[in-house]
Amino acid sequence: MQLFARSNRRQFGATAIAASIAALGMMSVSPAVLAAADTSAVIEIGSLYEPQNLDNTAGAGQGINEAFNGNVYEALFALTDGGDVSDALAKDYSVSDDGLTYTITLQDGVTFHSGDPLTAADVKASIERVTAESSKSSRKNNLATITNIETPDDSTVVITLSERSISLPYNLSYVWIVNDAATSITDSEDGTGPYKLDQWRRGSSLSLTLADNYWGEAPTNAGVVFNYFTDATALNNALLTNAVDIITSVQSPDALAQFTDNPDFTVTNGQSTTKELMAFNDRVAPFDKVEVRKAVARAIDDKKLLESIWGDYGTLIGSFVPPTDPWYVDLTAVDAYDPDSAKAMLAEAGYPDGFTFSLDTPDYDPHPIVAEFIKSELAKVGVTVNINIITANEWYTKIYQAHDFDATLQEHVNHRDIVFYGNPDFYWGYNNPKVVELIKQSESSATIDEQNQKLTEANKLIAEDAASDWLYLYPQIVVSASNVSGYPVNGLNSQFYAYDIEKSAE
Amino acid sequence: MTTIELDRPARRSAASLTFIVGLILVGLHVAIALLTLVWTPYDPSSTAGGRLEAPSLLHWAGTDRLGRDLFTQIMIGSRIALQVGIGAVGIGAAIGVTIGVLAAFATRLLDDALAAAFDILIAFPTLLLAMLVVAASDTASLWSAILALGIALSAIVGRLTRILAKRVLQMDFITAARTSGTSWPRIVVIHILPNIWPTLMVNFALQFGLAAIAEASLSYLGLGAPPPNASWGRLLQEAQGTVYTAPFGAIAPGLALLVLVIGINLFADGLRDVGDPTRRRSR
Repeated sequence: MQLFARSNRRQFGATAIAASIAALGMMSVSPAVLAAADTSAVIEIGSLYEPQNLDNTAGAGQGINEAFNGNVYEALFALTDGGDVSDALAKDYSVSDDGLTYTITLQDGVTFHSGDPLTAADVKASIERVTAESSKSSRKNNLATITNIETPDDSTVVITLSERSISLPYNLSYVWIVNDAATSITDSEDGTGPYKLDQWRRGSSLSLTLADNYWGEAPTNAGVVFNYFTDATALNNALLTNAVDIITSVQSPDALAQFTDNPDFTVTNGQSTTKELMAFNDRVAPFDKVEVRKAVARAIDDKKLLESIWGDYGTLIGSFVPPTDPWYVDLTAVDAYDPDSAKAMLAEAGYPDGFTFSLDTPDYDPHPIVAEFIKSELAKVGVTVNINIITANEWYTKIYQAHDFDATLQEHVNHRDIVFYGNPDFYWGYNNPKVVELIKQSESSATIDEQNQKLTEANKLIAEDAASDWLYLYPQIVVSASNVSGYPVNGLNSQFYAYDIEKSAE
Repeated sequence: MTTIELDRPARRSAASLTFIVGLILVGLHVAIALLTLVWTPYDPSSTAGGRLEAPSLLHWAGTDRLGRDLFTQIMIGSRIALQVGIGAVGIGAAIGVTIGVLAAFATRLLDDALAAAFDILIAFPTLLLAMLVVAASDTASLWSAILALGIALSAIVGRLTRILAKRVLQMDFITAARTSGTSWPRIVVIHILPNIWPTLMVNFALQFGLAAIAEASLSYLGLGAPPPNASWGRLLQEAQGTVYTAPFGAIAPGLALLVLVIGINLFADGLRDVGDPTRRRSR
């Protein structure tokens, strides 16, 4: 599961829960172009996230999910851009009454790019690739309840669990189905997706062409090329000069000015799952007091902060849960901006003259400027902030591992990551037994409704406890040439399905 | 005190134009820096302005992303630049002059070793050396930046001091002082330092400009004064992302740095003209 974003992303093990009912309807890009799509067009995609290698169990980074999930590799289930889990290579599945046995039937007529047919043995091998000792997949722990995988025939997989796991289909949406004959996939691939790898030029681009005999619906384009850039300005210029057709994620509203007023480009504003937050160390004084945390949350004008960083983009959130998670409820009214009550609460908590704390701030944008804003806001209620700038590595060792901090800033990128609040050993040390219990129970829910209800309750509790101060949700901004449409706009978990992208002839 | 008599009467002649212009520019920065101690147009942490406002009568240099007044930030940046300049040159001078003089007096072997050490340190780019020192200290702070630059500059000062001191040591009056039994610390204080001082001062002024630029570079890289210190380098770095929409945010601190460095260089040039008779004669 990814905790860091951008170049500083790193993978950590963690438990996610899942399975879903979409909270939002599918968001789609309305094609502004009436001209007919050119199915022979190759879509040039510009991205900042080049994968380190091509194997998602070998520490390849978020770039490989962007390029390969759903495009080159498919899973038994797919996470749609709207946040739903839908069937993919699984044609159908049934769950036993005790919730411990999943019987999955595979789609017919699926072949790998090498020509081998998909069999149940491939599925078993693929799941075992992720759960293997040597696997660096951060999803490993999510599949720890799997005790046995059986393959009674070529098109049936039976998965046995040690305890109920309502999120199994969601978690399986991250398990690429790879041909079991493929030995190493760090620089080649053998998947079942609509595209196959054409060429990977390290440091430059990764091109995908149409796979032969694809079992599903054929893509609306003739291939895609991911062009990798290390510099956002260079990437923007590439779009301006038509060197690329689309940018997967724009990271600053100020770069958008060049595109918003120009009819040649379309700017779409989707919802990311990336949350900017000030995480208190809930173990240590003064942040072990709920009133202090609530007071600090009330003293910071999140709306002004969001406008400062993102202009007209982005969303305010009242807790850790973004609108694309099924257990979202609008909690922005909890501890809304109110400096007067913040002062009163501080006095009540025994800090009438405020206090001083150190804010460990990662050295890359937007954290330093967010820290300055917080310092200025908290000064108004008598709280002094010492900004301590640290590198991403220091963050990992000092905060994530050693828990040696008062408060820190971090962006959390994952979909469905409220489960972190159910782990008292997580870096922020939030420990509310009721939340821990709810999150634990939610995973063994018999129905998705029950899971949603439990997590919604946990969501409300963490907001009431001001477990952290959730500042805002990043927007997911995709910019394309105006003759290109059909791309995903939410970018959940860095995925970027390319098969519906259309480019009309100009 | 014995000073080498070189065209002494002319020394007090009218200061050159470059010297005066330099003095005015540097003086302006010093005045602004001192002013920030008691007054700034806005509270530097006040976020009352709009996002990225253009320069106006209210905000002379516009505002940054958080709505803070940039002119206030640049004024404070002036103070930080001077602090770093004075601090770094002070440390560089203290270390450099001490070791340089020691080298001049040392045995042949030690002298050679120190000279080689200076050369090796100088061969390292100043900025790289400063980055190493900052990296070695736990957290980046204004003081770690000052210390880092001071150490980097000390090699240049040390080498110059050593050469100048050696030249003075060859003079007859030193031999006279030695024969008359003057102790070497006394020779340093009453004979050597007064004689090498004018040249060193010019060098310090030049180093000051270098330190100001180096601090801006370090801050730009995130290794200098941490936020909320409004170092010019940090202002430049923060303005980088918004350079298309609000170019003045990058231009203003850049201009301030340019003016200070030009001022110091003119000042140093002028100082050399006043202090160095050979140059003045050639005019």
